[in-house]
Amino acid sequence: MDPGDEHRDDKIVSGFVLCRTHAPPHIAGSMPRDSHPRMPFAWAPVRRVGRRAALGLSVLLALAFLHNAARAAAPPMSELVQAQLIAEPPAVRAGETFWVGVRLRLKDRWHVYWRNPGDSGEATAIKWQLPPGFEAGPIVWPTPHRLPVAHLVNFGYEGETTLLTQIKAPAALDAGQRLDLRADVSWLVCEKECIPGEATLLLALSAAGTGATAGPDAQTRAAFDAARAAVPRPSPWSARMDVAPHALTLTVAARGLERAVVRAAFYFPFAETLVQHSAAQPLEVTADGLILRLTRSALSVTAPTDAGGIIVIEEALGPTTARQAFDLGPVALHAASVAPPHAASLLAVLQAAFLALIGGVILNLMPCVFPVLSIKVLGLMGQAGQSRAHVRRHGFAYTAGVLAAFTVLAVTLLAVRAAGAEVGWGFQLQSPLTIAILAYVLFAMGLSLSGVFYVGSTLQGVGRGLATRSGLPGSFFAGLLAAVVATPCTAPFMATAVGFALTQPAFIALVVFLALGLGLALPFLLLTLAPQLISRLPRPGAWMETLKQALAFPVYATVAWLVWVLAQQVGPAALFAALIGLVLIALAAWSFNVAQTASGWSRRLAVGTVAASLLATAAAVAGLGGPDQARPPALQTAAAAGTERFTQARLDELRAGNRLVFVNMTAAWCITCLVNEQAALSTDAVKAAFSANNIAYLKGDWTSRNPEITRVLEKHGRSGVPLYLLYAGAGEPVVLPQLLTPAIVLEHIARLGEPLQRRASVSTTHKE
Amino acid sequence: MQLINRRTALVAGLAGTAMTLSLGLTCLPGSANPAAQARIGAPAPAFTLTDSNGKAVSLADYKGKTVVLEWSNHDCPYVRKHYGGNNMQTLQQKWTGQGVVWLTLISSPPGEQGHVTPAQANKLTVDRAAAPTAVLFDGKGDTARAYGASVTPHMYVISGAGTLVYMGGIDDKPSSRQEDLKTAKNFVDAALGEVTQGKPVSVTTSRPYGCTIKLSS
Repeated sequence: MDPGDEHRDDKIVSGFVLCRTHAPPHIAGSMPRDSHPRMPFAWAPVRRVGRRAALGLSVLLALAFLHNAARAAAPPMSELVQAQLIAEPPAVRAGETFWVGVRLRLKDRWHVYWRNPGDSGEATAIKWQLPPGFEAGPIVWPTPHRLPVAHLVNFGYEGETTLLTQIKAPAALDAGQRLDLRADVSWLVCEKECIPGEATLLLALSAAGTGATAGPDAQTRAAFDAARAAVPRPSPWSARMDVAPHALTLTVAARGLERAVVRAAFYFPFAETLVQHSAAQPLEVTADGLILRLTRSALSVTAPTDAGGIIVIEEALGPTTARQAFDLGPVALHAASVAPPHAASLLAVLQAAFLALIGGVILNLMPCVFPVLSIKVLGLMGQAGQSRAHVRRHGFAYTAGVLAAFTVLAVTLLAVRAAGAEVGWGFQLQSPLTIAILAYVLFAMGLSLSGVFYVGSTLQGVGRGLATRSGLPGSFFAGLLAAVVATPCTAPFMATAVGFALTQPAFIALVVFLALGLGLALPFLLLTLAPQLISRLPRPGAWMETLKQALAFPVYATVAWLVWVLAQQVGPAALFAALIGLVLIALAAWSFNVAQTASGWSRRLAVGTVAASLLATAAAVAGLGGPDQARPPALQTAAAAGTERFTQARLDELRAGNRLVFVNMTAAWCITCLVNEQAALSTDAVKAAFSANNIAYLKGDWTSRNPEITRVLEKHGRSGVPLYLLYAGAGEPVVLPQLLTPAIVLEHIARLGEPLQRRASVSTTHKE
Repeated sequence: MQLINRRTALVAGLAGTAMTLSLGLTCLPGSANPAAQARIGAPAPAFTLTDSNGKAVSLADYKGKTVVLEWSNHDCPYVRKHYGGNNMQTLQQKWTGQGVVWLTLISSPPGEQGHVTPAQANKLTVDRAAAPTAVLFDGKGDTARAYGASVTPHMYVISGAGTLVYMGGIDDKPSSRQEDLKTAKNFVDAALGEVTQGKPVSVTTSRPYGCTIKLSS
């Protein structure tokens, strides 16, 4: 027995491993590192443990006790961490790479750390001592959790976690040779206070013979499957990081995701000094992918060289949420503009405000605004006798009114945005439904401009009434109402401002809105400051109506463009339904006008027509809710060989022929579906099991909300994908869980031969 | 984004000028968010705290001198590593002997690990043969927050001009093992060597490591 063995014996206590904290200085200074107070357990030789392992118990349970004589503050002898070394194969074949794991079970509320521990803490470390020729890889870290501790955030694990490592066996091994694996594991375990600990874990395996050897038992395989499922998958998307002095923007090119489906996303950087870990990471879901806005750490003072890390995406799966993690791989780094950040952003805000100001001035030419303005201007001329200071006060009152209206509008929008963000409601401009509704609204606006019907005549009347009032309140209300009554004409401009406000921080959005308002008020304000300009103004008249009607045509052009966009997203039948919707909108508009002028029966008929045509429009667009076929193919998985497209007819046919059928209902935008296919369904083991059992594989693509698939989903009480069904015989299919591992699929296939009741019980055990 | 922009642009295209407006707006970058944290090269946040002898101590008192801030919690295993291995005391003696001001800060409020009374703090200094210029109490945690101190020991070096020149861990071996002291590169020692000779500090930040700092809420 070499000295190393002695050390090992010293630590094994009947299968229990003593775990030491770092001794307090005065003890550490006087005692050798490997010594510790003896524990009252019987000593068991390593060899006995090894023999048991060879007999199939491939697991050495090592309870780690913490020795803590140093402080009264922490429990002196508490069981904080139980460490255990496990291996997947019962016997190791020469040349193979196999998985081992260090399983850590923690006391409630205590945690250990990920490779980047966050604001404090220390990553768990494993030092391997392996038989000659064996090589251990790095720790394959499971996806960490965000662990807020007071004002800081740590990254790590609570409860139970398994740190996987791959070990490569040498090319030659003697059959039956004993293989001792030793892992010196050290960790920092913290609740609020932190206690370093370590354990030496031993595991004896044997070398497999030349013949076929049994694989791991189902329980071990399931344990390793689960551990591997907890590891982030390689990201199918490219990622880039834009680096500014105090901010970082991570863009993950996951195109075609839906905002409503992506509940949350979080970036865990590998680098410890790149991101301020405790800062919020606001998420945007755009057509280009996911964008996370990060706060750069004050410790990041030189240009970052590596922004690798993982992104965790929480995806809505009906009532539940799936947490999917991806290793981003290499992240392309881009330095943001070299200009000083404050000046640059100030300049950009000023630029936006200036453009908004010009937009506001243009609003004055809109036919809804101009009359209000004209009335005020005429009133101004009536006050020609008044002092210039008095006139100026009217100008300021009017400006205040306009700004008040725009402030209310901006605050309302920002509140809606905040509320929307909280409930996870996104602005889905990708959705055909949204596009159709936008087209209808614009079309109705165009019809109004064309004079088919008039909106807000009452409102405008009130506006005029108030605007014609004399005195400063009259001017204030004229300003307020100029902004309000202008809405039907100003919507196109407002849409731009609204769209912008939804993507910018509240402060900038408010500035832009106020600039827009100031622009609207500016001509009148200038006239009150320089009344001599009044004579230069064009007078209201028929030209305004002509201008208004002419403005309808750019609006129609926009509608045409939206229909074109829609045509790329939906099929011909849906497009036809959407176009009929346009006709119905026109019918509703025309009837609305009739209703306003007619009385008695004809009025009631007209009102009925408005209601009926609007309902019919709603029915026409209801079918457009699904996403489109033209969606970018980022998430589309290629049909594997032997996979058939799902149709109910094909399923019925296969079942009539008494075939076993596996049905996979998926969608391009479903991240969990993609992960399940990568991690379970396209693994060699599952593919082999499918072909060995002659299972037909039908794949249904629900990307564009195929109604045949929707019926199958509804039949199984699901509102969305993924759905996995295994049909055997005439009865109901077995429903597999929404999160798959190879072990789960294999187990379900293995149970196909058993009576139905048992199979059903298997599926419920695994259901989430 | 493409779709949104194209739509926005077309709608805005209803009037030519409005097009410019929308393009101008969509080109706006996201706002910068300068975190409220101490930064290298910026003036170190001012503070006035009471020391273990009841005397008020301000950073401004040491204008013209190099100042070291050391956040401490004597029960933290990482702090124990540096005091147990005589590393912290050696640094304190070396640099206070050369006119550097060394301030040990304790932010733990009563009831939290690391909290001590002034008398206990003075006893710790004697027992550990420590040599700080003063031990300061930051019981409200305001100074820790102003500096963004997250762990114990968290180290800062402030130049005579009052500029923050180093912040982060004490060395490059983030562990609680005393044996790592032998091979560690001490960033604070290096920064002090450079700053006292009027040279620019070559390593200005490192990952702070240790126990989560305990602050009153």
